Amino acid sequence: METRAVQIMNYTKKIEVDYLARVEGEASITVELDKGPAIKLKIFEPPRFFEGFLVGRKFDEVGDIVSRICGICPVSHMTTAIQAIEQAMGIEVTRQTKVLRKILCLSQIVASHLIHLYMLAMPDYYGYAGIVDMQSRFSGEIARLIKMKEVMNELTGLIGGRALHPVTHMPGGFTAIPPKDSFISILRKLKQIKPLAKEVVKDVSRFGVPDFNSSSEYVALADETEYAINEGRIVSTKGLNIAVKDYRRTFRESHVSYAFAKKSNIVSRSCFMVGALARLNNKFEKLQEQTKALAKQVDFEVPNSNPFNNNLAQSLEVVDGIERCIKLIESNTFEDEDVRRRAGSGEGCSATEAPRGLLFHSYRINRKGVVEQADIVTPTSHNFLSIEKDLNELVAQNRDKSRDRIRLLCEKLVRAYDPCFSCSVH
Amino acid sequence: MNNKRPTIGVFKYSCCAGCEFQLIYFQEHILETFKAAQIKYCRMLQSGGTDEGPFDVALIEGAITEQWQVDQLKKIRDVSKYVIPIGSCAVCGGVPAIKNTSQEYDVERRVYKDTSFIHSVKAHPIDQFVKVDGYVRGCPMGQRDLTELVISLLLDKRADFLQYCVCVECKLNNSICVLVAYGQPCMGPVTNAGCGALCPSHNRACYGCWGPMKDANARALAEQFGKMGLSREDIFRKFTEFGQPTDEWKPGQFKS
Repeated sequence: METRAVQIMNYTKKIEVDYLARVEGEASITVELDKGPAIKLKIFEPPRFFEGFLVGRKFDEVGDIVSRICGICPVSHMTTAIQAIEQAMGIEVTRQTKVLRKILCLSQIVASHLIHLYMLAMPDYYGYAGIVDMQSRFSGEIARLIKMKEVMNELTGLIGGRALHPVTHMPGGFTAIPPKDSFISILRKLKQIKPLAKEVVKDVSRFGVPDFNSSSEYVALADETEYAINEGRIVSTKGLNIAVKDYRRTFRESHVSYAFAKKSNIVSRSCFMVGALARLNNKFEKLQEQTKALAKQVDFEVPNSNPFNNNLAQSLEVVDGIERCIKLIESNTFEDEDVRRRAGSGEGCSATEAPRGLLFHSYRINRKGVVEQADIVTPTSHNFLSIEKDLNELVAQNRDKSRDRIRLLCEKLVRAYDPCFSCSVH
Repeated sequence: MNNKRPTIGVFKYSCCAGCEFQLIYFQEHILETFKAAQIKYCRMLQSGGTDEGPFDVALIEGAITEQWQVDQLKKIRDVSKYVIPIGSCAVCGGVPAIKNTSQEYDVERRVYKDTSFIHSVKAHPIDQFVKVDGYVRGCPMGQRDLTELVISLLLDKRADFLQYCVCVECKLNNSICVLVAYGQPCMGPVTNAGCGALCPSHNRACYGCWGPMKDANARALAEQFGKMGLSREDIFRKFTEFGQPTDEWKPGQFKS
């Protein structure tokens, strides 16, 4: 047995996944087993220069433009940018606007998790190339996915005007508020899919998780009163606790020749992970009671340092997100109001929890309302170092396995992080 | 083509991948579509598959910003019966083409300290490089045009894409004109229809995300914006958010 393993190793010193499927965007993985192992996540998606061409654009165009950074999380980019611009220009928004933003972001997080769990991650665990081939064996699961995603997209579209690249969301508020009866109708649908959400957690708990532990620090946005989405302080499992405005003093970016995405790290510390698992590790107690009970049922405990469990964490957020949307809609009434305008200038920044983790935007706006400087750091840039570190450790632990097995493990790990390479090369 | 399942290849260039998502999650029709058509290559949907064709239909999303993309695009054209750009980036440059309004080096320098490994060129739509057989417009691409495309392929008929401006849809909706009544700088008169006049029906001016309508009178609209008090820079920004490389909106793109 041992000789066979050695033979395989000698025969295959290099493993390459040249265009990783079922992730958003374009990247490849290279593993060089004889070098220790040396692993590179090559993000070859062409750079898109949003920070470059936003300079010279007007403040009220920015939300519409940055939503085009990502097809899965347009709402997050839009919301983060708009909040940063409001801070720069001194625009105060109403409580209603903040509530609507929260629903908008939660609905998108749930929809994004559903896509990731069923269409991108699940085929790995049952040996399929993609969801199309899975139809006969998993018709129930696929029907569940489509039903739930439809309702969540409808909710995003109700508030945003359109689920992908919303149009009503502007600095200062929303240009249109949906009529009361449409909230009643969506509420009914949300309640219908609530029981399905619990099935999602069960589906994901059946994936089976490779035994692996990562020593990463987990970073998330936290707030004393609730499970923070759009506002809060940046905290970590290793004691970080800073205001969003101190982000640039704490987080640094660097770039490497093999990727157009930048790598982010915490100054004088190591790599870190953001995303659903990081959120649960930092603020598990802020979840709804029923979500916590469900977590117990599937033996999910925090702190949890297995990055493969990001999938399970996402499924718990699906349950929690739907319940929070229901509560937010039930406990508020929404009325037409004017979009607030003010021609201030200055610098502003904002951080939110995108589906894939902490997202940071900052802008400098001049007196004409024109962007002079833009800075965007996406969740996948935050996770970049951590993904590479975990890949290294994973391969080191599984060196005796076959080439195909190592390759699949690597792909599974990268997908568990739910990276978005399109975002990362913004 | 109606006797066998058409084969489809989906390719992504510089964009947000939102159109591919629209396609994959073509929600209520998704299962029917997969039964009727065979997805031969789509990286985001499935692993494996070949990009070498042949394809009955190649759907292309994203703008072209690097040379390797042109090389691949030409190969795709060779092995595909129909090539269809999907979404504004592939149809008219879209948001990625905003960068064309500055010097390439300036834009790059704002993002990367070392630009020596960047090989980006000005963003262009697909039809600048290869012949295309129709356009599925929208940002993200519209469901109506996409449905029309799929049905046309199955029936082997020519697809009937909408070829009028957003104003027509506003009238059909009985919406009040935000340009005439409220003095908002609306791009509706020069923008291709398909969205159902989404923005005007949500109390805001159209910002042109579906890209230029054929034979649009951009000069007249730009002059109107000027009369309404917009600065030259503001007008320039309106006409470069979603159609910088197009001839149709060129008359609105003057800075001084």
